[in-house]
Amino acid sequence: MAIIQGCNIPDDLFYMTEKHVWAKPLDGGKIRVGMTTAAVKLAGGQFLAVTPKRKALNQELAQGKSMATVESSKFVGPVPAPVSGTLLAVNEAVASDPSLVASDPYGEGWIAEIQANQWDAEKGSLASGPEGIEAYRAKIEADGVNCAE
Amino acid sequence: MDDRILIIMTSGPDTPRRCATPFFMATIAAAMDYDVTMFFTIDGSLLLKKGLADTIFPKEGGRAAGGYLQDALDAGVKFKACTASMELHGLTAEDLIDNVDMVGGASMWEMADGATSVVSF
Repeated sequence: MAIIQGCNIPDDLFYMTEKHVWAKPLDGGKIRVGMTTAAVKLAGGQFLAVTPKRKALNQELAQGKSMATVESSKFVGPVPAPVSGTLLAVNEAVASDPSLVASDPYGEGWIAEIQANQWDAEKGSLASGPEGIEAYRAKIEADGVNCAE
Repeated sequence: MDDRILIIMTSGPDTPRRCATPFFMATIAAAMDYDVTMFFTIDGSLLLKKGLADTIFPKEGGRAAGGYLQDALDAGVKFKACTASMELHGLTAEDLIDNVDMVGGASMWEMADGATSVVSF
């Protein structure tokens, strides 16, 4: 786990740094996706609503297309698909209790799962490893996010 | 192509409380991958005057309407200003913020006709 500006950023995940989205490869080409602690901070400490794109379930989504929407009084944004694939599942627990994203962003607060169909080709577009953490550090600093404040 | 949404914005500086939600809703729709256009007419056009939205506070002590407006632009929402309402308020293209197209009233009907949802504020 890296600590960037007070934000916990696990070093074993992949990141869409622009959107503060994390991606975790699971077995069988499945990718679990959520929002980082920096996103929670940007949102003012919590999300008031997480709305999964249920009508896209079992549909193909291109990389970058929206899988869900997160809202707070300070922040509105998509949870984009970090890679192309089929939207397999959305976490109904966070839809009914959005505070899970803030309380356990990398665990119970996951938002969606996608069955990647071009993981090997697309994973390079995500930030990962020590270089990825540094890239995300630059983004967090540029956004003026400080989770410790 | 993504589904299109048209938001018709008629509220302006006289009703500050009505000047955040339309932009907020537009930003959400864009985040959901809808193709979103806001059409500004009647008093809504005034919000596009350079700097003016930054002086309108939907909530006392809160964020200016200009912040919500910028969120919508950043999310990819397209802004169209009604030429007739510009004339009503004595505005010209030079008075407006960047990234606004000026269009006639007929364009509103064309946009409404091609949209899956039309919402007026």
